[in-house]
Amino acid sequence: MSPEVYMEEKKEKKGTSSTKAPAGATQYKQHLVKFQSLIALFMLCLVIGLLSDKFFTVANGWNVMRQISVNICISVGMTLVVLTAGIDLSVGSILALCGAITAGLLKFGLEIPALDMFIGFTVLGAILAGMLTGTALGAFNGWTITKFKVPPFVATLAMLTIARGLTMLWTEGFPISNLGETFSYLGTGWFLGIPLPVWISGIIVLAAVIVTKKTRLGRYIYAIGGNESAARLSGININRIKIIVYSIAGGLAAIGGLIVTSRLDSAQPNAGMSYELDAIAAVVIGGTSLSGGRGTIMGTVLGAIIIGVLNNGLVLLDVSPFWQQVVKGFVILLAVIIDKANSKGE
Amino acid sequence: MKKSIKYGIMLLVALVLAYNSVYFKSLSEVKASPASDQFDAATYANKFWNTKLTPGLNQAVEINALISLLKADKAAAFTSHSHALGIGNIRYFLVKGEGEITAVGENTVTVVATSEEGQQPVKIETEFVYGNAVRDAQGLIDLTDFTSTMHLNSVSEELNKKIRTEVVPPFKANAKKGQQVQFVGAIELNQEHLRLDEIEVMPVSLELVGASPN
Repeated sequence: MSPEVYMEEKKEKKGTSSTKAPAGATQYKQHLVKFQSLIALFMLCLVIGLLSDKFFTVANGWNVMRQISVNICISVGMTLVVLTAGIDLSVGSILALCGAITAGLLKFGLEIPALDMFIGFTVLGAILAGMLTGTALGAFNGWTITKFKVPPFVATLAMLTIARGLTMLWTEGFPISNLGETFSYLGTGWFLGIPLPVWISGIIVLAAVIVTKKTRLGRYIYAIGGNESAARLSGININRIKIIVYSIAGGLAAIGGLIVTSRLDSAQPNAGMSYELDAIAAVVIGGTSLSGGRGTIMGTVLGAIIIGVLNNGLVLLDVSPFWQQVVKGFVILLAVIIDKANSKGE
Repeated sequence: MKKSIKYGIMLLVALVLAYNSVYFKSLSEVKASPASDQFDAATYANKFWNTKLTPGLNQAVEINALISLLKADKAAAFTSHSHALGIGNIRYFLVKGEGEITAVGENTVTVVATSEEGQQPVKIETEFVYGNAVRDAQGLIDLTDFTSTMHLNSVSEELNKKIRTEVVPPFKANAKKGQQVQFVGAIELNQEHLRLDEIEVMPVSLELVGASPN
């Protein structure tokens, strides 16, 4: 081996070894970023567990899971919307309307005096009607956004008001209660030792993971959020995908509404108030970029669990509800700042 | 062929779902059948008023005695004198008192309740009579009478309506500053964040005593 070749090899080896250490550090940092939500959740549980002896109990665990299942339903839909670089502020109101429609149809049916006809609804029928309403309202959101180029923020803000108003009209401002044992089972029942709402949210999460990871629709959603112009030029029907995504978000909000209504055995006209904010918080804390194209369903699930545990912990620690809002706000802010810092690093 | 099978299956599923989702009846037939869920809130509230609420007014705790007890032993005061249907910090007390009217406002009449225990200014609500204080303050409402929370709430609504239309008008028409009044009513206190400086009384009984100052 000539000295020149030897020197070259040595230089190369040196170069490799000198870059190896930073590569390891980068890898470590990448792992830290990847698991930051999980680490945050672990730390949160640890702190609350140390401060409250009621936190690490089975009953409280199921309680938290049941509470977050509604937020998970909404957040999954919100994640899909945010991945397309959109936002859906109407999910809380859609949740209330769908819950009210389901309860109203189940309890009172539909009367058509002109035909001397009464249409009664079974539990299945009322549930389907509620879900169809949510999906239709979501589709309407998607249609206004794509057809009239209304910014998602404005279109869904309008829907927030429309759906809330429709809920008030439908319920006349009063709760619709006493919906029967069969319907109540949806929100309060257990199956194989696990609460039914947890099963429902679990199935939704599984389906959403498969859609985002394994289907063409999932790839299109990421493509639209990543670069809409490029996605359009590559032949993706942007409008169709967006309408589908907003419809899914509406449908999932409706499922959330069914769970809430069933758990309370009552459809409250003011149900779901500011649920959209909890959903957005879960999405953001879960690492989904608000500018679209980046994020995962599992990240959102973690975000929802963090929000749920935080809510539960603050209640167990007897923190005033006013302070709870302040703390939640700071947590969301912190999540966005960390996300921004990570994006810069990338 | 593949598409037609797909659409055929979808149609079949839709039909099965629709068949199991709705049923049709004659509207006149439905209207004629007695509703199992009817609840006459006004009748219930009247009966509650006549048989439980007003006969039990002598059980009310004197407002100054209550304030003294709250200051000395809050937990004991809440345990022995307050009632509430739900869990939480908000609890209701049935109180009585006598004192001088110091102000007649648009929505409230301010009275300084005076007794051997001391003096306590209270505001008697004459306009915004809302909430569940009157219904729950005695702890005599029987939850088993109700099949839904809506019915339970409608009782409060009827009781408050009765106060607004029967109790308040004769009092408000004659109340003047400087007059003596005997009152019995319900108050709401938060056991975690107790505030005794702005006590509002939802009146059940209001009686002007003595001659008018003018």
